[in-house]
Amino acid sequence: MTRRRLAFIGAVLVAAACVERVAAPGRCPSFCPSGQITIVDTLLAGSISGDSAFRGYVLAYQSSVMLASDTPLVDGRPIFRINGLGARRVITAGDTTTGAILGADSARLQISITRRDSSMRNLSLRFYRLPITIDTSTRFADLIGPFAASPVHTLNVDALLAQPGRKDSVTGDSVVADDTVSHQLVLSLKLDAAAARYLAADSGTVAYGLRIAADSFASIALGKGSLGPVLQWYLRVDSAGTSVARTPGSLGVAFGSFVHDPPPAPPDSTLAVGGVPSARSILRVAFPRSLRDSTQIIRATLFLLPAVPARGAPADSFVVEVRSVLADFGAKSPIDPRLGDTTVIHVGATDTLAVEVTNLLQLWAADSTLPTTLMLRARAEVQSFGEVRFYPSIAQAFRPALEVTFVRPFPFGVP
Amino acid sequence: MNAAVRRSGGRAVGMAAVLAVVFLTAGPPDRLSAQDSQYSIRGLGMPGRWESVRARSSAGAFAPFDPLSPLMEAAMADVGRLTATAGEGTSYREVIVGDTTTRLRGTRFPLMAIVGQVAPRLAVAAGFTTYLDKSWDVTQRDSGVLRGTMERFTDEITSDGSVGDLRLAAAARLSRGIAIGAGVHLLAGSTRMTAARRFDDSTFHVVQQLAEVRYGGLGVSGSVLIGLAPGLSIAGWARSDGRLRAKVGDATSAETDLPRMAGGGVRLAPSPSARFAASVAWRSWSSAGAGAFDTWSWSAGGEFGKGRVPFRLGARGGQLPFGPGTTAPTEFAATAGTGRAFAQGRALVDIGVERLERRGGGLTERVWTVLVGLTVRP
Repeated sequence: MTRRRLAFIGAVLVAAACVERVAAPGRCPSFCPSGQITIVDTLLAGSISGDSAFRGYVLAYQSSVMLASDTPLVDGRPIFRINGLGARRVITAGDTTTGAILGADSARLQISITRRDSSMRNLSLRFYRLPITIDTSTRFADLIGPFAASPVHTLNVDALLAQPGRKDSVTGDSVVADDTVSHQLVLSLKLDAAAARYLAADSGTVAYGLRIAADSFASIALGKGSLGPVLQWYLRVDSAGTSVARTPGSLGVAFGSFVHDPPPAPPDSTLAVGGVPSARSILRVAFPRSLRDSTQIIRATLFLLPAVPARGAPADSFVVEVRSVLADFGAKSPIDPRLGDTTVIHVGATDTLAVEVTNLLQLWAADSTLPTTLMLRARAEVQSFGEVRFYPSIAQAFRPALEVTFVRPFPFGVP
Repeated sequence: MNAAVRRSGGRAVGMAAVLAVVFLTAGPPDRLSAQDSQYSIRGLGMPGRWESVRARSSAGAFAPFDPLSPLMEAAMADVGRLTATAGEGTSYREVIVGDTTTRLRGTRFPLMAIVGQVAPRLAVAAGFTTYLDKSWDVTQRDSGVLRGTMERFTDEITSDGSVGDLRLAAAARLSRGIAIGAGVHLLAGSTRMTAARRFDDSTFHVVQQLAEVRYGGLGVSGSVLIGLAPGLSIAGWARSDGRLRAKVGDATSAETDLPRMAGGGVRLAPSPSARFAASVAWRSWSSAGAGAFDTWSWSAGGEFGKGRVPFRLGARGGQLPFGPGTTAPTEFAATAGTGRAFAQGRALVDIGVERLERRGGGLTERVWTVLVGLTVRP
């Protein structure tokens, strides 16, 4: 009897098992809600004002790369200094006796090309000896003389890559590594005694500059810091009147930078972004209260019209990012790292640029305490010569504008 | 022997108590709905059926005479002892529009009531039932020109919840032949509504808006039950509800007039093993605004058997208050059911099945509903 009751109750519970599926295709308007999602698109042409550009955020020597370029628009030349070992050298390990460094038989310089245009042909590198006094204040014009001298070493990268084993048995140059994914190329250059002069008077400090050339517009970036350049000396040291060979440890660069011509254009009313030293532009947006309250922004696009064609090496497109700021202190406004929107700039382009800034405007709508200020900057500052200049808000016909697509509040609760 | 019966009865009451707990805790308050319908999307919602599972198994014909159905109060006068009931319904629904058939399903808990005698001629009741079911989910593909480009998108608008009827009622027997009753109704509930639009072009972010809409209103009702002769009774009832106020946050988004309604029924019990009833009701839903209609509904049914397992059947029909077009959609249903008494009648489990068809505005709904009710008389 109890089993029958339990079976009965079990059957009842199974029949009553909770299930739910209520989604059905709508047949509108007869069987759809009376309220509809209403989307509005508006162009906020006059909402951007107080815009200005600032330069000097990242300087050439602060960049993680050294830029080399040979184009009609810009001539870029890496320069670097490697401090020497001094005038004397320990002759035998574990012995404090030192001997005067007589000179160098040769040296081997390792450099990394971190960016290059794979379509570039006949890329040649020419190394010049520079004054060891080069520093952060050195400009292109200061080095016209040294760069006018004969190069101390010349290398054709394509010819070297074509050599068996990627090693030139005549010059001693070789390819250490060639990453086909990142296109990073590590070269080892043999500098003879003339190219690698170890002068005790200079404590062995040397400085070199590099010019590049190619069949087409040449533009590359050389690594700095852990990516080179690295110099390996092969020295002659005086040991009780006898010249002995010694190979000290490799030396990294003490100073690495690049000089370029022409220098950056002086500031004007346009909104500059990128370049060397890097420029940023700030745009202040009058964010309408109506957008803040009770609406949902589903798309926002910032339109910018280049005042001049974007400059840089033809193959070096670059990325401009738009970010909000944590506080509006003008040029020193701290950038909000949370959200950013980007767009790619192609050198020479003059088309109107559209940057999707939906995330940023949604953030403004959600947090009314945030300043409604946009900062434009190159995503990788001073890693290319790319620079773009946009019309400012004072250029009424070409001024920056925001197009915002938003949703009006749904009429919930209305039958 | 008596002890054995008592032990058996105790187990049955225990199981009934477990079932009661299952029913009364299985769904949160916003799921206290009667039955979804596409006809509830455009309008106030789908009116609930104020019937216990026992009454609904005979198509609601016995509802005016059922003390556990919240349709009428006067029938409570003869409830005798404290009684609690709850109901649950699982619906399997086909929505047919043209050549498209969509199969939907849902489980609802539309009823709970406690009735008890507080004086020799006075009974009171408290409980809730569904006044308007407002659960639906509509998806639609469409397109529109945005920023000069044709953009395709999918809209999904959902509503999940209901308006409940919290009733406090009293009934008194004035004489052997006449009982009267009255009740006040607090209409309260909420729906969680969402409106979403997903563009095929992901450049446009997903539109996602949501709100909780709270509803409130008041109503009063009165009823009379007259015994004309042994085995023959008639009943009449009337109810008037005020305005249904919808609020989103602190703002009132809509105020809608609710209907006045009246109905009556007759019950005939020619023998202890056969009972018949019929009822009719009118509701002035057209006051709710455009697209709403006054409705008539009827039901007829019978209950057979005098033992612990009766058999019930019935049919009902009528009009629906909301729909497109100029005429009200209609519905027709046939029902059947039975019940089982445990523990010397102290626990009752009723089950029923209903086949329902709604038509109107180019749409047809066919619904199978399995009903389970539990009544406890401790």
